[in-house]
Amino acid sequence: MTGRVVLGLVVLGVAAAPLLGHQYYTTLMLPFFGYSLAVLGLNLLFGYTGLLSFGGALFVALGAYTAAYLTSVFGVLAFEGIVLAAAVVGFLVAIPVGLLCVRYVRIYFGMLTLAFGMLFYSFLFKFYHLTGGDEGLRVLRPRLFGLAFESLDKVQFLTGPFYYYSLALMVVGTAVMWRIARSPFGLCLRSIRENPGKAEYVGVSVRRYRFYAFLIAGVFGAVGGTLLAVPTGLADPLLAYWPHSGTLVFMMLLGGFSNFFGPILGAFVFIFLQDQVMSLTQYWRFVFGLILAIVVIFVPRGLMGFLDPRQRAGV
Amino acid sequence: MATTRRQFLELVGGAAALATARLDTAPAFAQATPVRMGVLTIKSGIGAQVGEAGLRSAQWTTDRINKAGGILGRKLELVVEEESTPKDTVERFRKLALQNKVDVITGVISTGVSLAIGPVAEELKMLWISWDGTTQKGVEETMPNPRYSFRSTDNECEAVMASIVVAKNWKGKFRTVAGINPDYSYGRDNWQAFLWIMEKYGNPVTPVSDLWPKLGTTDFTAHVAALQQAKPDLIFSSHWAGDASVLMKQAHAAGLVGNTKFVFVVAGGVHETLKKSFTPEGMFLGYNTIYFDYADASPLQKQFVKEYNDRYKEWPVFECERAYLVTSAYKAAVEKAAKAIGGKWPTTDQVIDALEGLELESLGGKARYRKDHIPECNFYGGFTTYKNRFDFVTIDPVVKMTGPEVQKPSGVGLKDWIQSWKV
Repeated sequence: MTGRVVLGLVVLGVAAAPLLGHQYYTTLMLPFFGYSLAVLGLNLLFGYTGLLSFGGALFVALGAYTAAYLTSVFGVLAFEGIVLAAAVVGFLVAIPVGLLCVRYVRIYFGMLTLAFGMLFYSFLFKFYHLTGGDEGLRVLRPRLFGLAFESLDKVQFLTGPFYYYSLALMVVGTAVMWRIARSPFGLCLRSIRENPGKAEYVGVSVRRYRFYAFLIAGVFGAVGGTLLAVPTGLADPLLAYWPHSGTLVFMMLLGGFSNFFGPILGAFVFIFLQDQVMSLTQYWRFVFGLILAIVVIFVPRGLMGFLDPRQRAGV
Repeated sequence: MATTRRQFLELVGGAAALATARLDTAPAFAQATPVRMGVLTIKSGIGAQVGEAGLRSAQWTTDRINKAGGILGRKLELVVEEESTPKDTVERFRKLALQNKVDVITGVISTGVSLAIGPVAEELKMLWISWDGTTQKGVEETMPNPRYSFRSTDNECEAVMASIVVAKNWKGKFRTVAGINPDYSYGRDNWQAFLWIMEKYGNPVTPVSDLWPKLGTTDFTAHVAALQQAKPDLIFSSHWAGDASVLMKQAHAAGLVGNTKFVFVVAGGVHETLKKSFTPEGMFLGYNTIYFDYADASPLQKQFVKEYNDRYKEWPVFECERAYLVTSAYKAAVEKAAKAIGGKWPTTDQVIDALEGLELESLGGKARYRKDHIPECNFYGGFTTYKNRFDFVTIDPVVKMTGPEVQKPSGVGLKDWIQSWKV
């Protein structure tokens, strides 16, 4: 009950953020919504299934490029269509990639997902005529529920209608993921994480369930990518580059992969910490490396390990 | 609460002091608030050396402006943020505009990043004057009529200059060519411009190899082997960072230096790393918009070069000129606009109007902002020599070409422009 109240208050607080008048920090919440969806998907693979993917950026970039292609090449501006298309593209690409990757576990799975991510990065970088190469592709301002909001400038659009649209999408995505994680399917995934041999023995089709988890992560990553692309206005190959996959893993570890809300908290803290540290020092990557080392060594349960008393007690 | 006689006299005295203040020294707005200039520059990775040089120059220019009384009496202050990926740099740009509330944003080196920044500057109605980033896609402009974005010179200017000089000086002396350029739009633009200009000059060349190492590569073993295999008469490269000297070192070690002609269109940007021990004499070396050891340099350049070297024990590179141009152009535009409206502090739109067509002296000589918000600057290059007091190569004689000689006019495609030349 307390958890639900806290959750409700958090959502209300996030919904009220644009009213505080800090336009910049409101725009900074937009990548948070996108990353939240992406890391929720990634955590279904890692936190629930025990598969650490270093190819998360592949699906984020797929979503961003879907938005770019639809808006600037095909003239499709309906954001509902863009999100749906990104989900479908993420799903379709996840099928062959997932079929190959889930045959392996541990470092082999991680390396294979990394390889597919880099393959896509190379494709984006090299196929100039299709992808715009290093220059990327423009992502035009979308329409929300058929409305263009022409009277609003881009910042007003981002901090107004688009903000609430993204927030709603994130809340819905989180609710869907919550249901998945709490379903018998989610329980099977956890059993696979704990002991795949035993899971197989009691009738869980381990490879098939891993594959399903991979598909869901792909869809969440791609939808998150569309939310990232609109505020930037550009889809560029660096979205698919391996450090971006590392960023997603960092968010997950920072917030705590063993808690459902950990990756979301990790995304939030990462974005706002990066914003502050980047302004303070050019050695911000060093600072983040240090933070990662501290988290892994001293706080393996991430920030949620501190905040959640049950996790603190090791339950 | 009643006002006492003492308080009343203090108020009257204060008002009188304000009324009799000298108005010719600084207008009324010259009170406490400084002018805030946002700067976005690369601070890590392969471009950090260039980014740091630009930042040093921007600071030098700012100090110089402030020593001379600031801009219309207001001190100039830099707010520096890092240029990194397009996504992160867009967020830094928004932070400078919305949170730091700067008056103008300068900087940005990468065209990949500029392509994202340009539309955001227009959306935010934020004046952005780029150091080195363009909004070109390939060799063509994507923002022909921006309002708030002032870009850098076209990507291929240095290649145009190098190609013209090479075509004139080495005509008939090479037939097979190989390109080794960084694998992104800048490298591709330069290689394309070179081939078109060779064709225009009636210098038919046969490309025997075009290699595209990733920007920042430090192992050229495979590329150098491919060049050895191709045996070109001339090797053309537009590497501009530390990788240029690495390439030269490895080419030298592989025995490529000697019979092959080299054209490095912009490696003058890291000229101190091109040591005599491995860099040949007689290769073409482009320096972009400033040559640090130019005998006919202006007193301004000489002062800058001396002070820069005294302070950092290095010789300045082209990003210094870009940062100087942009910082001083903003000051000149504000003063020009203010003059037109009777000394008041101008609005952003008035500064933009003043910037269009503005002519000023930059470190590399006279510069001008065209109506399409692209500057025209002088470009420098020449053939390398060991006859100097340094342990790295310099050029002699120094070739200087003006902006209109190396940059396509507004609204004209690069190929059409080259085709229109009378050679």
